[in-house]
Amino acid sequence: MTRWWHWLPFVFLGLVAASVISFKVFQPVQVVPRIRLAPGFALIDQDGQQLTSEDLRGKVVLYNFTYTRCPTPCYGMNETLKQVQAGLDEVLPPDIPMKFVTISFDPEHDTPEVLRAYADSLDADTDRWIFATAENPSLLKTILGAGFEVYYHPREDGTFEFDPKYILVDGWGIIREEYRYETMLPNAKRILRHIGVLANEIENSKGASKLAYEAAHLFLCYAP
Amino acid sequence: MKSSRRFFLISILLGVAVVFLGWFAFTRLRPYKFHGSLVPSAGTAPDFTLQGVNGPVSLGDFRGKIVLLYFGYTFCPDVCPTTMTDLAKAMQLLGKQADHYQVIMITVDPERDTPEKTDAYVKHFDPNFIGLSGTPEEIAQVATLYGIFYEREEGSAATGYLINHTASTTVLDKDGRLKLIFPFGTAPEDIASDLQHLR
Repeated sequence: MTRWWHWLPFVFLGLVAASVISFKVFQPVQVVPRIRLAPGFALIDQDGQQLTSEDLRGKVVLYNFTYTRCPTPCYGMNETLKQVQAGLDEVLPPDIPMKFVTISFDPEHDTPEVLRAYADSLDADTDRWIFATAENPSLLKTILGAGFEVYYHPREDGTFEFDPKYILVDGWGIIREEYRYETMLPNAKRILRHIGVLANEIENSKGASKLAYEAAHLFLCYAP
Repeated sequence: MKSSRRFFLISILLGVAVVFLGWFAFTRLRPYKFHGSLVPSAGTAPDFTLQGVNGPVSLGDFRGKIVLLYFGYTFCPDVCPTTMTDLAKAMQLLGKQADHYQVIMITVDPERDTPEKTDAYVKHFDPNFIGLSGTPEEIAQVATLYGIFYEREEGSAATGYLINHTASTTVLDKDGRLKLIFPFGTAPEDIASDLQHLR
């Protein structure tokens, strides 16, 4: 005769399975993925100052890659960045520092002076929005091509063929999200939503809730 | 009324059992909390081939072992010896299990650090450690891909130049995937404990 308690282990397993499935389905906690390491670098900014990956450690950074002679609207990148900056206060608590870094892959033309003029023409606050490049083109190719996986290729007329791309990096130097133009129009709203999700994790992933965040990574509960 | 009383009893017992098992699962089966920063990535970390004391050494040679990568240099006055000492202590704490791990230091000062010099330097801390060097271009490529920044800083005439560099240790699993980053100053006990849980 089957006793009811013989079913207890199955009930327990069922409950565990149900909670795992509901965690995955309802996603009470969402995260942005940890994709890979962002490259280490030493660049030069619009004021001729050095900008290194170590300077940006501990800060959330949104990178994009372009060149100042890119014919406007240049995929609307600057417009998107301005929209993200305008909406930042709503998603990012003031105690989490964030920077925007626009890296030019045209160092021959985009000297610090040119980058400074470009920043001014965009009315950019260079405390928060930094424009940079590397003086050594082959090192720049390693940082951008191999490190950030950004494709760019000069054409004979001085313009570039390139993938407009935004990359979101956390304070540990880990790439958390990549936005490519061809797959989806990277709209400011989507980037802002991800910055908000990342900020939540930074603020709340402590103590017991850290387990919930790690579970969210494990079950790929990624914010759309 | 008998059946409803039995139903009541069953639900009470079931409730108690679930709470007990849940508590057991939470305390005993709770996932381990790492001290280093987790970077679990799906793909394998970039491979490289550099010069060791007995010829070329590739990252791929160490599949099956957990690899700890550190970028430093032999003239390094403080940070590198501290890290090397901490890693050697962690290996001591792991005892026999240390065979499952390989510590590799890649020099960020290829102009002064030959493969021989780099290797002799790390073996001073632990005879199983490996030191690698290469051409400045090769080193720049590997360091960049592993998120390592370094730059030359002119020191006094007596010491020559110094090199500022990222001081964290990168851990790759047996299949060559990025797993953990230990910031500078992680205690040897915490390193050893994290490494045990990676196996």
